Amino acid sequence: MLSWSSTEQGDPADLAAVVAGTDRVGLPLGAELMRFASACAGTDDEELAAARAALTFTAGEALMVDAAAVAANFEMMTRLADGTGAAMPEVRKESSSAVIDAYGLTDLTSAR
Amino acid sequence: MNVREDLSEAHRLAWEHIASPGSWWTAAQRIELANTAIGAIGDVEPLPPWASVSAVEGRLPADHLAPAIAHDATYRIARHAGTLTEDLYHKVSGELGPLPYVELVAIVSTVAAVTHFCRNIGSDLPPLPEPEPGDPTGEVPDEIVQPQYNWVPVKAPADTKAAVLQAYSAVPGESINTWRMSDAQYMPVAEMVDPNWTRRAGGLSRPQTELVASRIAQLRECFY
Repeated sequence: MLSWSSTEQGDPADLAAVVAGTDRVGLPLGAELMRFASACAGTDDEELAAARAALTFTAGEALMVDAAAVAANFEMMTRLADGTGAAMPEVRKESSSAVIDAYGLTDLTSAR
Repeated sequence: MNVREDLSEAHRLAWEHIASPGSWWTAAQRIELANTAIGAIGDVEPLPPWASVSAVEGRLPADHLAPAIAHDATYRIARHAGTLTEDLYHKVSGELGPLPYVELVAIVSTVAAVTHFCRNIGSDLPPLPEPEPGDPTGEVPDEIVQPQYNWVPVKAPADTKAAVLQAYSAVPGESINTWRMSDAQYMPVAEMVDPNWTRRAGGLSRPQTELVASRIAQLRECFY
């Protein structure tokens, strides 16, 4: 979805940067959002507070709340997908092969 | 902290939903499983994926209402979802039943969303409501079938939409709650085909939304 939506908008995101967790993903607020999302999925409360403050300072509280909600949604969806054994049809895997390779997904336990 | 009304309402309804009788579990059992999920997500010294929370003294209420294996599965899904295997699914669903298992996954995924949202914005998790009385409803769609793209049974016809969309369809109450939350947290399903969708002017662009989504899925080691 990231690859598709950013390409459709004419400014493809750097998936390698997303995989590496760097701040050069090529999107507006990319560095702040990457740091915040990484902290949301982590366990370091101090880093999360700092990342939250940085995003809020740059983009405002409402956008930070929206980003927090998206992160929460994918805490929900990853458990839904992995808990119910959700799998992709082969045709979709083939069409997404570049993204799958970029993220190094084929070695995951959840690759079905 | 100002939280959008639609978002706070979706989370309020989610907590009410957890505290109501489900199709297969009583409200008290659902609350109990939700508390195990909350404990797993916040566990500062988490058990490894292969460990059973029920085997660790003091981790579950002494008089727990849901079976031990339900709590073990709840902890595993809440904390280590990326390690789940089809063999484990068959073991757990063989003891609980496939549809009670689906409902259990939905309880955990609901709890994960609300718990992580509160942590993400730096707010306290609201307490779960007191459980509503009543028996599980036993609600089942007219026809359920085994799909190709999920382990769990789904409402017929199978595989006419994405695996995540059909995953909870055999337990309709969970499906309704989940997609109501997703509408508020992420975007309405109908908008997913629009690469330019945004919730409001000045809000997250679609690529920015997907950046956050991708990073969470990557760090949770979710292939899907």
